[in-house]
Amino acid sequence: MLATLATLTALALGAPQQTDTTLPVRSGARLEVENFGGEIAVKTWSRSAVRVTASHSSRDRIEIGASDAGLHVKAEGHRGPPHVVDYEITVPAWMALNLSGVYTDINVEGAQGEITAETVHGTVNVSGGSGNVSLKSVEGVVTLEKARGRIDLYSVNEEIKASNVSGDLTAETVNGDITLRQIESSNAEANTVNGDITYDGTIRDGGRYRFATHDGSLRVSVPEKANVAVSVSTFNGEFNSCFPVQLTGKAKHRFNFTIGSGSARLELESFDGDIKICPPGAVAKEE
Amino acid sequence: MSDAWTERLSEYIDGILPEGECVALEAHLEACASCRATLDELRRVVARARALDDRPPATDLWPGIATGIGLAPGAHPIVSLARRRARRRLAFTVPELAAAAIALAILSGGAAWLVLRGSKAVPTATTATPAPMPMLVNASAPGTNARYAAAVADLERALEQGRGRLDTATVRVIEKNLSIIDRAIREAQSALAADPGNAYLNLHLAEQMRRKLELLRRANALAGARS
Amino acid sequence: MELTTSGVATLRRDRDQAAGDAEAADAALAASGDGRAFERLYRVHVARIHSLARRMIDSDAADDVTQDVFIRAWTKLGTFRGDAAFGTWLYRLAMNVILARRTTLGSERGRYDDSEGALETAARPGAAPELSMDLEEAMSRLPDGARQVFVLHDLEGYKHEEIAEMLGIVPGTSKSQLHHARMALRQHLE
Repeated sequence: MLATLATLTALALGAPQQTDTTLPVRSGARLEVENFGGEIAVKTWSRSAVRVTASHSSRDRIEIGASDAGLHVKAEGHRGPPHVVDYEITVPAWMALNLSGVYTDINVEGAQGEITAETVHGTVNVSGGSGNVSLKSVEGVVTLEKARGRIDLYSVNEEIKASNVSGDLTAETVNGDITLRQIESSNAEANTVNGDITYDGTIRDGGRYRFATHDGSLRVSVPEKANVAVSVSTFNGEFNSCFPVQLTGKAKHRFNFTIGSGSARLELESFDGDIKICPPGAVAKEE
Repeated sequence: MSDAWTERLSEYIDGILPEGECVALEAHLEACASCRATLDELRRVVARARALDDRPPATDLWPGIATGIGLAPGAHPIVSLARRRARRRLAFTVPELAAAAIALAILSGGAAWLVLRGSKAVPTATTATPAPMPMLVNASAPGTNARYAAAVADLERALEQGRGRLDTATVRVIEKNLSIIDRAIREAQSALAADPGNAYLNLHLAEQMRRKLELLRRANALAGARS
Repeated sequence: MELTTSGVATLRRDRDQAAGDAEAADAALAASGDGRAFERLYRVHVARIHSLARRMIDSDAADDVTQDVFIRAWTKLGTFRGDAAFGTWLYRLAMNVILARRTTLGSERGRYDDSEGALETAARPGAAPELSMDLEEAMSRLPDGARQVFVLHDLEGYKHEEIAEMLGIVPGTSKSQLHHARMALRQHLE
């Protein structure tokens, strides 16, 4: 049960409103922010406190519910639903974040805990995160860097970009490219319907990798000394490799080859696009 | 012309060339007329740039802006001017705000906040990401198609009932992406018709069908509908 | 990428005190919903914003971007605190919109094409060599990356470290792009 220890209200008359408050938090507390329209920008500091600054109309007020579990931040409209609120929040780096909005851009910098960020119309741009990191938008680019753990990235109508990420990774969109660079993973999957996929990361022994698109190209890095069984499927596309490969099996629209011991599994599928594998660092997005 | 001396000229002009290199460059300039000429030309470019005046647009953009922020009479709420992506809406009708508030409640996965006038309706907590559909081994089999078609029809019906509660931007995005997936499904089906036993094509079709169901479920979650 | 307060460039124009006061008053009026006050602000600043958009992106998108900037400014007027000049605040907002739009338009590809060919194309003399080509026309022929660095450094007054952060490059690239842009442009100033 959420026991509100401190609920802060700022209601001004007339002038545009700025809320600025700092609350102490205990280790393990979570931050939850619900926004409607505007921005949620989170950065970190070394203090065991959370500073919430919000820019909003004088007709809205910011409510911050505080309990042992953490802080819950939201805006209430004086009449009807709230208008646009831009949040700038500074949190301890360890703090887990749960950020959501509708017409909201979400930016997180320097977080080291779990992050869940969801918006409908807006970008999600996160640097940091560990453990479970789940970023979602419907109409907005999703970007993640410097994270590790169990990573889930979803968009619908925009692209997904991840770099310098380690752990299990899933990236899925419908109408957008997926670009994965400097990935260290034993389990990576990227799936789009209308877009290109670029993967420049590890292919580890025993790993599982699947990159699939309907209408788009695949560019995947495979070290020449990797141990991987590769399956390539395409209906109307071409396959190219930067280095020679020996086919071990061939069926209509699908063929296989093995590099080294074949310990990892790599599935490459593009219905109507080209598939290319190259050594790491040589994978570059084509025009 | 591109040599080691010429490359330093810009930094020299801007006063950011390290002192030792400055001395060396100045000594070189004394002896190199060509480099001196280039230096003068670059300085003229910088001077011209700094003197550049601002020019207003050829057409008056105010009417479009006024319409966009709702100042003109009878104006629609903000519509995006960018062709590729709708940025956030800046003025809303009450039903649209309510719709989006439902979306927010659903997205948050909880019932703690629902801003409808006087309403305390609490939607069932729904995850935005549904469980993945079981892989269909032969997606073109009649029985499988019937089951899939029924599931799609159910979701489309629910979405139709609930779509009045979604704002037009969300509806547009969902419809656009459903049509992208539908096109992929049609192409996969067409390929499969010529080669019905093909394992890859079967799995690929099944994947696209799964994507459609997932998007419909997500759209329904946004609309607050229950299938 | 958001501009932090440290990245604000100094406006090249000075404003006299009276104009500044009138503008602050208009900003306050506009924030409370006065459309005519906002239109006055628009008239004062549209040339600056449009020129920035035109130079950083291109002429085709400049109208669109300019409208986006002002519409966004209208909605964010509640956040204008009056501790800086309105023009400074608006400029910062415009730069954020432009930088975001720059990425959306996919100008990352070929952004830093500093091959000889790309810059020579920009440097080709115009049809009427007896007239010095309009500098803006010459700038528009530069590759995106070189042009944007040139605009940010020589027109807008940013330092290379700031430009690097804004454009997602390293300062060394910013320096070399600037030099190459200047070298290409000098041929149009005879």
